[in-house]
Amino acid sequence: MPITRRHVLAGSAAATATVASGFARPAIAASEPIKIGFLPALTGPSSSTGVAINRGTILAVDEINKAGGVNGRQIELITRDTQSDPTKAVNATAELTQRDHVQVLWGPLNSGEALAATPLGARAGVPQLDPCWVDSLIDVKKYPRAFRVAPSNQQVGGAANHYVVDVLKVNKVAVIGDTTGYGTASVEAYVPMLKAKGANVVYQGDTDASNPDLKPELLRMRDAGAEAIMPWSVNAGFLARILNTRGEMGWDVPVVGQTTLGSGQTKALLEKPENWAKVYQNNFRPCSYDASGKLPARTAEFVDKLRANKIEMGDTLLWWIAIGYDIPHLVATAVREAGTDPAAITAYLNSVKNYPGVYGTFSWTAEQHNGYPDDEVVMCAADSFRDGAFNLAPGYSA
Amino acid sequence: MLLSIVSYGLAMGGIYALIGITYNVMFTASRVFSFTAGALGMLGGVMGSLFIFRLGLPVVVGFLATLAGGAIIGVITELVAVRPVLKSLEQHLYVLSTLAFALMIQQFTAIEWSTEPQPFPRLLALPRGAFDQQFWLPVLACAATVFGLELLYRHTLVGRAFLAIAEDNYAARALGLPERRLRMASYAMAGMIGALAGFAGGEVLLAFFANEPMLNFYGFVPVALGGIGNNRGAVIGGFALGLFQQAANYVVGGVFASVAVFAVFIIVLLARPEGLTRAAAARRV
Repeated sequence: MPITRRHVLAGSAAATATVASGFARPAIAASEPIKIGFLPALTGPSSSTGVAINRGTILAVDEINKAGGVNGRQIELITRDTQSDPTKAVNATAELTQRDHVQVLWGPLNSGEALAATPLGARAGVPQLDPCWVDSLIDVKKYPRAFRVAPSNQQVGGAANHYVVDVLKVNKVAVIGDTTGYGTASVEAYVPMLKAKGANVVYQGDTDASNPDLKPELLRMRDAGAEAIMPWSVNAGFLARILNTRGEMGWDVPVVGQTTLGSGQTKALLEKPENWAKVYQNNFRPCSYDASGKLPARTAEFVDKLRANKIEMGDTLLWWIAIGYDIPHLVATAVREAGTDPAAITAYLNSVKNYPGVYGTFSWTAEQHNGYPDDEVVMCAADSFRDGAFNLAPGYSA
Repeated sequence: MLLSIVSYGLAMGGIYALIGITYNVMFTASRVFSFTAGALGMLGGVMGSLFIFRLGLPVVVGFLATLAGGAIIGVITELVAVRPVLKSLEQHLYVLSTLAFALMIQQFTAIEWSTEPQPFPRLLALPRGAFDQQFWLPVLACAATVFGLELLYRHTLVGRAFLAIAEDNYAARALGLPERRLRMASYAMAGMIGALAGFAGGEVLLAFFANEPMLNFYGFVPVALGGIGNNRGAVIGGFALGLFQQAANYVVGGVFASVAVFAVFIIVLLARPEGLTRAAAARRV
């Protein structure tokens, strides 16, 4: 009998049907560990975030497993160090989804790696949790199973703008970025947002981050009548030069911007400690001290837990550890409620409303995968750092 | 404002001039235009911060260690990136080899040191003033280097030997000059001058791996303006560049300052391709 195309089609249909009907699931599935594929950068230039998040994640996984796991199943954390390299992050994502068949991907933890790896996670259909800020990462059409567990850049800029315009009641604002992609894109995105809020942007510019003298720019800002400076850069040298020049000019306008303003690297480059006064950087309300110097109850409890487990937090940021701690608990909750089927986990996450994490209160819907609430993105006082956290900037209502 | 233009302009001018001289010293010894000059400048800042700030060595010891480090990098440049391509100099392979070596240095620094600018120590315990040490130290370093090089080239036998191989390599070798060793010595000296630029300018530039491309570009300008191989031209070109750049920072500001600098640079080169201070070279046809 000659083999015709019809035979081949019929045969392949039958074969597909056999595969689809499923090999009998092995009975051990019920006791198999739940696999979380974790993609931190533990080495390389972007590793400071990864190292801190790793501390929280390990703590949470140990805690869940010691308490008997999820429905009797242990959580297995499969960690792959991306070495701050997008290529390695992509390879690790492929390995975790195709060979290890993880139930959930946690990470990568920085934008460059996440942008490279998320399409791969989406193709494998694995639910993915990303703590990165870059706006284009979250797109329910392109990546229907990727969820953001942090604010987007839009929210971060919005919070800074809100603080300047609504809390400090400043009208004349100077916005400066460095000439990197991040700097110019931020200035372009945030200036229209400021104008929409009714602020008067009296100075707008981009400067090379390696320019040693920023005095001309600050003089221009002052001459234009600026009452607040909003620098958008992740370069500690650029930010420290703005603060040093402001100090040298004896000009005491507030400087409001991105988290690097409050980093130890920026501090190390200040000519005088006083140059750090009136500097307010992005932070998160659940991980900030209030006016009486206290953390919110949920966070205080978490800090006690960190101390009991001898986890270092003075050398890093509390919110990094907190976000690391939240994710395994979130995954455990999702599995408890919905099982380990990727579609079911996605459906569960789509229905989450006000999930009480230490780092934030998460909510997602089928249309909106940016899960961090606007009102928990706040500004903090840079010179108030202790034990990984900062004081809330002045002016916020309790 | 004028004080700020002059102080920063002179400081940056001194640094650019020293990087220009680094290019020149390497060029005259080997006819190779080595793009490691910026890397040496960057390393001067990084090594200064490493030795004095991180390891806590006294300033003088840290300074000497930085110069020694620069000399070692200079020698390695000669061995790794220059010597192998000398045979086929006319193919300009050195652009690739020296640029690749400079990139390797930059990447290595980024990984082992930091991608963030690190603080550079204050070298002298003087109070901060209007014309601070961070501004006059690069100028002083530049003056000392130019003076030292003049002394070396005009008044010592070794210096004359350097000039001899620069002038006519084959004739010098025929006379029995140890051309290879002199070239190595030149590269070690260039390494020290480059490291000195970064060290003296450390307080202005900080210890930052990304200073390398910046110094490579702006250090090249005085060489092109002053004429390749001409140290006096590099000094004049360097200070002119520093002052003009700083003035442009005030007048136009932001990214347009760099645009202004390169616009003027291109116009000067169009008008006088041989450089400002050099007579047009006669070419035998």
